[in-house]
Amino acid sequence: MSRIGVFVCHCGLNIAKTIRVSELAQFASTLPDVVVAKDYKFMCSTPGQEMIAGDIKEHKLDRIIVAACSPLMHEQTFRKVVENAGLNKYLVTIVNIREQVSWVTHDIEEGTSKAKALLNGAVYRARLLAPLTSRFIDVSPDVMVIGGGIAGIQAALELANTGKKVYLVEKNSTIGGHMAQFDKTFPTLDCSACILTPKMDAVLQHKNITLMTYCEVTEVKGYVGNFDITVKQKARYVDHDKCNACLACTEKCPGKGVSEWDEGLVKRKAIYIPFPQAVPQKPVIDRDACTFFIKGKCRLCEKVCEQKAIDFEQQDTFSTVKVGAVIVATGYDLMNTKPLVQYGYGKYPGVYSALEVERLFNSAGPTSGKVTLRDGKEPQAIAILHCIGSRDKNNYEHCSRVCCMYSLKFAHLFKEKTSADVYQFYIDMRAPGKGYEEFYNRIIEEDVKFIRGKGARVAESADEPGRMIVEAEDTLTGKFIKLPVDMVVLSPAMIPRSDSKDIARLFNLSTDKYGFFMERHPKLAPLSTMSEGIFIAGVCQSPKDIPDTVAQANGAAAEALTIVVKDKMELEATTAMVNPASCCACQNCIRVCPYGAPFFNEQKGVSEINEALCKGCGLCASVCPASAIIARHFTNDQVLAEIEGLMEF
Amino acid sequence: MSINFKQIEDKLKTEARKLLEEGKVSIVLAYGKGYDEKKPMPYVVRKTSDIENIVFNEYCTANMARYLVRYPRGTKIAIAVKPADSRAVVQLIQEEKVKREDLIVLGIPVYGMKNFKTGETIDSKTTCGIYNPVLYDILLGEEVHGQPVVSPYDVLVDYEKMDKDGRWTFWKKELDRCIRCYACRKACPMCYCDPCFIDQNKPKWGEKSPESQGNLMYHLTRFHHLAGRCIDCGECSRACPVDIPLYLFHKKVAKECEEMFGQAAGMKIEDKPALVNFRVEDSDKILE
Repeated sequence: MSRIGVFVCHCGLNIAKTIRVSELAQFASTLPDVVVAKDYKFMCSTPGQEMIAGDIKEHKLDRIIVAACSPLMHEQTFRKVVENAGLNKYLVTIVNIREQVSWVTHDIEEGTSKAKALLNGAVYRARLLAPLTSRFIDVSPDVMVIGGGIAGIQAALELANTGKKVYLVEKNSTIGGHMAQFDKTFPTLDCSACILTPKMDAVLQHKNITLMTYCEVTEVKGYVGNFDITVKQKARYVDHDKCNACLACTEKCPGKGVSEWDEGLVKRKAIYIPFPQAVPQKPVIDRDACTFFIKGKCRLCEKVCEQKAIDFEQQDTFSTVKVGAVIVATGYDLMNTKPLVQYGYGKYPGVYSALEVERLFNSAGPTSGKVTLRDGKEPQAIAILHCIGSRDKNNYEHCSRVCCMYSLKFAHLFKEKTSADVYQFYIDMRAPGKGYEEFYNRIIEEDVKFIRGKGARVAESADEPGRMIVEAEDTLTGKFIKLPVDMVVLSPAMIPRSDSKDIARLFNLSTDKYGFFMERHPKLAPLSTMSEGIFIAGVCQSPKDIPDTVAQANGAAAEALTIVVKDKMELEATTAMVNPASCCACQNCIRVCPYGAPFFNEQKGVSEINEALCKGCGLCASVCPASAIIARHFTNDQVLAEIEGLMEF
Repeated sequence: MSINFKQIEDKLKTEARKLLEEGKVSIVLAYGKGYDEKKPMPYVVRKTSDIENIVFNEYCTANMARYLVRYPRGTKIAIAVKPADSRAVVQLIQEEKVKREDLIVLGIPVYGMKNFKTGETIDSKTTCGIYNPVLYDILLGEEVHGQPVVSPYDVLVDYEKMDKDGRWTFWKKELDRCIRCYACRKACPMCYCDPCFIDQNKPKWGEKSPESQGNLMYHLTRFHHLAGRCIDCGECSRACPVDIPLYLFHKKVAKECEEMFGQAAGMKIEDKPALVNFRVEDSDKILE
């Protein structure tokens, strides 16, 4: 015999609007073992909590059922209440009558009836609940940050400054990310490299940061507080311990590869550092461009290297790192605009994508900072086309958020470096940020022409060979315009990295329809994910500019710190156990467990479960054909009783 | 070419003698004399004097892989397998119930095996319709080639014509006849749980007496537990004293599994059991 107390919450009108709450409480009082049933306006408020605590004492309750919002919201609140009143916290059951009932119907009959069924099931289950004891595990104090762009760099530095050890994993041979490619940053127009490279260098110098460039995460095991992450160090063919960064090899190398840093506008060597301020400033060999790897002959770099650092035999190596929390900051790609044939990217040499233009402005870029077309001439008229692929039902519906602002920046730089006429083709100008509107107004005054209308097509000019015609509807005048220009800049949609799906799979992250990582809650938990201990920062979550990215990175660092700052961590007591008498040794549990908790005891011929690894997901219990696995708090008896209660109603 | 059963029997005896005498195995799982020719029995050969009792004829349909899990881990066993039976061995190795190195597989390439009750040939009708073992160490006879290849799923044609309601009525009618003798479970090489879910009392998953609800619970759950694992030997149907065509359900599930996951049960040791193995490229059809 148990003594159950049922507490029904109105949640103001959130619940009471579509469920007759007093009728529900009345119904609950008729159920077996229910000693007291009450309803109240806000059960989570202090008077509500005190009511529960008081009734536990007064009626000697040993099971509490709270019919209210999702357990994600207030399960912990009510567990605290019963714990303070002297009950085991696993003896409280939350029945979600808000998200799962009142918010999904307008029909009060339907709502009340479903709420009764759920409550009936919960009472049946509650009678069979048993007290459980939480476990405490050691927490690994280190953090891994994935992605060495500005988000990853910032998060790593913040964490390292608190004294925590950070592993910064970057798949390219240098950190810096996209920000290293920019020339100036809006709206202040300060030089991107000038503000970024000190941070890159700080990462390299920081004693608490282990920099892992040219590395990729290949496997993730474990759980919050204790992740075991396998990292692949891709073969660089250069021993970085021996290399003294004299870069003689990069001078002699005859190989030609495409410079990723310069967006493919120029070639680089096969043995290379991506750019002069790269961190670490030591070269790697691009296998696909290396004459030795292609033809089997050359090895010039090996000959000129006095340090004997070149090692053509180098293989990929794997290492495992133990960390307590992970920050994913994998950034973005720009959409490939070639398939949008109407804009002629890749067809007309005068059409550039935004990142290519960043490189043209840059003094370390392919033109040493001079704005010239591919034929070396200075452009006379330039059109900047906004929203290419974004805000577009045929491609990506989302706004890429930064294009308006960088297009203004481009306009300013074009005006500064050329005498060209500059035209902006925009749908809406969006400048919501500190100093952004002011920047917009400043550019308007710099004689930049704004045409409100999305660029529809870029065509070859019939009259002037080599020039292009931008076609668009000026929606302010309603006129269709054809504008001759000799340079077109496309602002393509920002999309998740091409390999972000792999990252999502490795870390069990959900993604939105575009592939951006989903946060746990868009407002209240924007940096957490549904995988505990994994945080996200920067554009991998959604398009954003540098200030927002840095703010997120700092936030994610603080979130990660909340985990690794503790020595011990409480784990849910809801783990699985094996009844050896029933185990048929099929080992299905071992195959399905994502945490590696079950193992096979050869001696006894049965499976056993390492409870320190078990997260209580219940997969093993559900695949066990002999029902030998008991998922604590969700035992077969408890679940079947709940189903019986649901079906009965 | 027809199958020379006598020759297979002789080879089986020779190999069994050799293996036992050389001490390579302590047990040979084969077939022995029953009370008449049509009812040979599963036979466990432990010493050379047992060998004369070995028989092999067209009625030796029993799947000896059923008995592999009875012996302690590490027991060295030689096992005579027909083509379908060899798939059971492979499946058991996949499921780590037996170790490949503990087994010597005596493969029997064969077709034209018969149902002892009806006398009809079972080849692709109630078994999987392959003629050569997929795994063996010693082959007792020549590999079979040139026999017509018939899909094991052809027999489903009439069954698949039934709609959902039709199938439900069909199975309710068939399964209502079940007397709960559990011969299907005993004959099945993949049914090795002890205790079986249906024998459990806490929770009680289904009624144990032969009545409609409990019968459905037992059989539907058993079908489910065998999804992606049934190697289509058809022994459950032949063991059934009331002739419930269990093979139809198993074949249908096997067919869907094969279409969905691109692998049939027990064909390759390297495969993993389809339903407890996650592959990125797996079909999501199962969720629809």
